[in-house]
Amino acid sequence: MLISLLARALTMSTPLLFGSLSEVIAERSGVMVTAIEGIFLIGAWGGFVGTYVSGSYTIGMIVAMISGIIVAAIYGIVAIFMKQHQVVTGTALNILVAGFCTYFQRVLFGVPTSPLKITPLPKLPIPLLSDIPVLGPIFFQQNILTYIVYLVIPISYFVLYKTSLGLTIRSTGENPEAVDVAGINVNKVRFSVVLFAGLMGGLAGAFYSVGYLGMFSANIIGGRGWIAFAICFLGNWHPIGAVIGTLIFGFTEAIAIYMQSIGGGGYFPNELFIALPYILTIVLTVSRKTFNVPAQLGISYSKEG
Amino acid sequence: MNAKLRDLIITNFLAVFLGLLASGILLLFIDINPLTVFGAALKIILTDKYTMGDVFLKATPLIFTALAFAFTFKANLFNIGAQGQFYMGAIVAVAVSLQLQGVVSQPVLLIIVCLATFAGGGLIGGLIGFLKARFNANEFLVSMMSTYVMAALMNYLLRTFLKEAKGEYPQTDSITRTAWIPTLLKGTRLHVGFILAVLVAIGIWILLYKTPLGYRIRAVGSNASAAEMSGIQSKKIYIIAFFISGALAGMAGFTEVNGVQHMLIQDFNTGIGASGIGIAILANANPIGIIFASILFGGLSVMGNLMGRMPGVNVPSSLIDLMQGFVMLFVIISYFFRTYLENRREKLKLQKGVK
Repeated sequence: MLISLLARALTMSTPLLFGSLSEVIAERSGVMVTAIEGIFLIGAWGGFVGTYVSGSYTIGMIVAMISGIIVAAIYGIVAIFMKQHQVVTGTALNILVAGFCTYFQRVLFGVPTSPLKITPLPKLPIPLLSDIPVLGPIFFQQNILTYIVYLVIPISYFVLYKTSLGLTIRSTGENPEAVDVAGINVNKVRFSVVLFAGLMGGLAGAFYSVGYLGMFSANIIGGRGWIAFAICFLGNWHPIGAVIGTLIFGFTEAIAIYMQSIGGGGYFPNELFIALPYILTIVLTVSRKTFNVPAQLGISYSKEG
Repeated sequence: MNAKLRDLIITNFLAVFLGLLASGILLLFIDINPLTVFGAALKIILTDKYTMGDVFLKATPLIFTALAFAFTFKANLFNIGAQGQFYMGAIVAVAVSLQLQGVVSQPVLLIIVCLATFAGGGLIGGLIGFLKARFNANEFLVSMMSTYVMAALMNYLLRTFLKEAKGEYPQTDSITRTAWIPTLLKGTRLHVGFILAVLVAIGIWILLYKTPLGYRIRAVGSNASAAEMSGIQSKKIYIIAFFISGALAGMAGFTEVNGVQHMLIQDFNTGIGASGIGIAILANANPIGIIFASILFGGLSVMGNLMGRMPGVNVPSSLIDLMQGFVMLFVIISYFFRTYLENRREKLKLQKGVK
């Protein structure tokens, strides 16, 4: 039972990891990707439509990534180049994307009598590794997206802290003038990381529709983009912090799903478990004391003069 | 008319027009001529009294949720959770109405319910402000998450304590006519709540711009540490601003339950918190501007509903969200062009001065 619970926790952590890691990288450069909820949603929709129409998971994933990048690009143009308020821009895009997905779902498929289904991404047990007792079933009997996340974690840490690219990204969030003086275009750096967040967020969204549920509905994301956004804050803008934060959430969500499946043990209402990840976010936000906020977070950059 | 105001009006009109144009283009995808349906919908709105009333009816709760966002925005705080505070208001409104209907007279009941929703929404808002003031918790995240918690709480109550007597659906019993907000215009659904919303908006404008408290709130908003230096306790302002903001959102629960729906159901008005943010942006967080922007959004939503019901055409109701989203996006972009126009004007002025 515990093993399946932990495996489920890891499954539920996967999309949040895509989201929170890319949010960490983006915010270290000084931009909050407040369109993350919309990016998740369009990824879920694009991934579903791509897979449903083509019958190929690969094409579905590519559509999800592209649609995530498109929304991120609109966000980047308005928030970075036009220097508009990041929270406000994100909110507008989230509403627009919600309308867009519902509208085109209807345009493409009408009102079907039974919900459209696809087979969720199959679990891919890795030979040998999946046979290890305890660890095998938890770590190595997951779907492909979870394995991709295993790679994304060390890569994002390595890039952010051990490469000149990472140094540039971090400096852009702390001291953009210095980056500018070094001849690097601050806004281009920020725009690029936002596009990257779009790609990752698109995959995260596709995880919910293609990887897990095998269907799309307008409320499929239900604030999980915002949870990934919150994890970035709670993980102190550090990839390792984000991983720890995500695992806590993934575990909470796994417990919530389990408790709902057994009817709350008869003592607790289901709604409590539905609300649990959100309550946890509030509790953690309140209890967090030290913050290492990137100095220029949320502030758009313009050259003087 | 000064150049700044002229720019504001022109760019906002353009933004709204472009927003409608973009959603119109999307109608072409489903083989609908946008000009015909937009025109037909507009004609019904302008000629049919009932539909016209609905525009203002839809605007009423939006005025409250937009004011809620704008109020904390003036203190440089973000209340993204107006939806949750609205749910709290709606829960309080239906619970108090069901208890008191037939016990006290209609005016007394309505005043009590109105105050109770104010307090209920304010409680949630004040709590978020307290967490911000006491623990320096990020109010953006806390308010965002509070909506999901409140939605779960509402669903729980609808399934248990507030469930209808028949016990069939997760919804409450209808409140009796004695608990309804009186109609404003015969032959429409428009109720007195609209007048209340307009008065509250004017009151909020006075509070923000003509009272010491409003001055303190705006001072904290423009520079919290400078305000602190001059003896304003910014933490106290956080709690007060959030309390009032939440209370405003809570009052939307009063007008929606007692004025329109007369009961509480699941997924009750899920979009009004987000629309409120859009309206506040459109109006540049000005309480008087919010009245007009809300009427515009009310009009968009009525228009979307009309198009969905037109015989022969089949417009998905999600077009409303699309229209609102596009309008918001173009309004934000118009801010950029306004700043650009203003900078150019200043530059020209300076150049003239040199000559």
